[in-house]
Amino acid sequence: AADKINLIPQDFFAELCEQIVQHLNHKIPGVNTAELCQRIQTSGIEISVGDLAKIANIVSFLFSTAARNSLSTEELVTTLGNAVSALPKHALQVIRHVWNEQGKSISVSEDAGNMATVGQFVDIKWKLGVAMSSDTCRSLKYPYVTVTLTVADGSGQLTDKTFEMTIPQFKNFFRQFKEMAAVLETV
Amino acid sequence: MAALRDGEFAALQSLLKAPSKDAVRQLCQECFSSPPAGLGPLAQRACPGLTADAEEAEQLVSALHNLTRHVVYRGLTKAEDILALFPENFHQNLKNLLTKIILENISAWRNEAQASQISLPRLVDMDWRVDVKTSSDSISRMAVPTCLLQLKMQEDVALCGNSPVVSALTVELSKETLDTMLEGLGRIRDQLSAVANK
Repeated sequence: AADKINLIPQDFFAELCEQIVQHLNHKIPGVNTAELCQRIQTSGIEISVGDLAKIANIVSFLFSTAARNSLSTEELVTTLGNAVSALPKHALQVIRHVWNEQGKSISVSEDAGNMATVGQFVDIKWKLGVAMSSDTCRSLKYPYVTVTLTVADGSGQLTDKTFEMTIPQFKNFFRQFKEMAAVLETV
Repeated sequence: MAALRDGEFAALQSLLKAPSKDAVRQLCQECFSSPPAGLGPLAQRACPGLTADAEEAEQLVSALHNLTRHVVYRGLTKAEDILALFPENFHQNLKNLLTKIILENISAWRNEAQASQISLPRLVDMDWRVDVKTSSDSISRMAVPTCLLQLKMQEDVALCGNSPVVSALTVELSKETLDTMLEGLGRIRDQLSAVANK
């Protein structure tokens, strides 16, 4: 994946690094890799979301390790070791610059929310609909709820998961969350 | 719009050779549930004895499929509406039997149609648990309650056919993000009440 970094123009790479640092700083809930990839693709560059995600993973790991060990910019570059020659010059420049500006301010400890081995829930978007008709039933009038959950994975990258529920399912769904909240109060 | 073409009603007459009313019932159910692509194999399997050859078998199965699907599509629920679908000279007893079988099954068939219509992945299961984080490599003592939620979703039934694809999503929620979730769900509930009251 490191060679794919070559494909990413400097300003997009800088934006990616910015988002990663902001996520590590808890200023944003996650890195919107999919959206960034869309914009990169629109500008004519052929890179897949998977490749961009791998690159984001690597950079995130690099920055968080550096933060944990309180590395200076030069120490960070040394850590990259042999990889430095594989990285395009503009990428190395961006990494140095971002670390210089914001590296010190990343506090990796003192926050329980960091131990993400499981996706972190970020947001819920919803829609209430009524299916009026389909190829199997001309007159349906079937209500349903569509929900999109935004989740940040271990490296802070955001993904959306969309699904449907019937109304009884939704009522049960809601009830379960209220129970969870009640239990959370008592713990 | 006629339910079936005349030739198709003629094909239904093969049912007169059925060994029993239950056999007809069974065949109706299988013909309704089968997707168009499955009708060929169904014809081979279900019709020996009823029809003279493979072509007649396929015509019978296809006619039954179209008839039952038509009734569900139009949402017919009354005997007289179903009886009216048949041509005048159709065998009286067979017409009554088919109408009776259709009426018995209409509600289950409608549910089946709704369940198998195109949709986004559907929620099929939800499990959760509440944990307390007590320690980690960066914090030695803490007591942070956290929720773990696992949602199981099944892909569009129409795409999966007989082997449903179920995917699981495991998500962690903190007290704050749980509040976000509850707020969103509360708004859905409010909208549902508003719509129900109209």
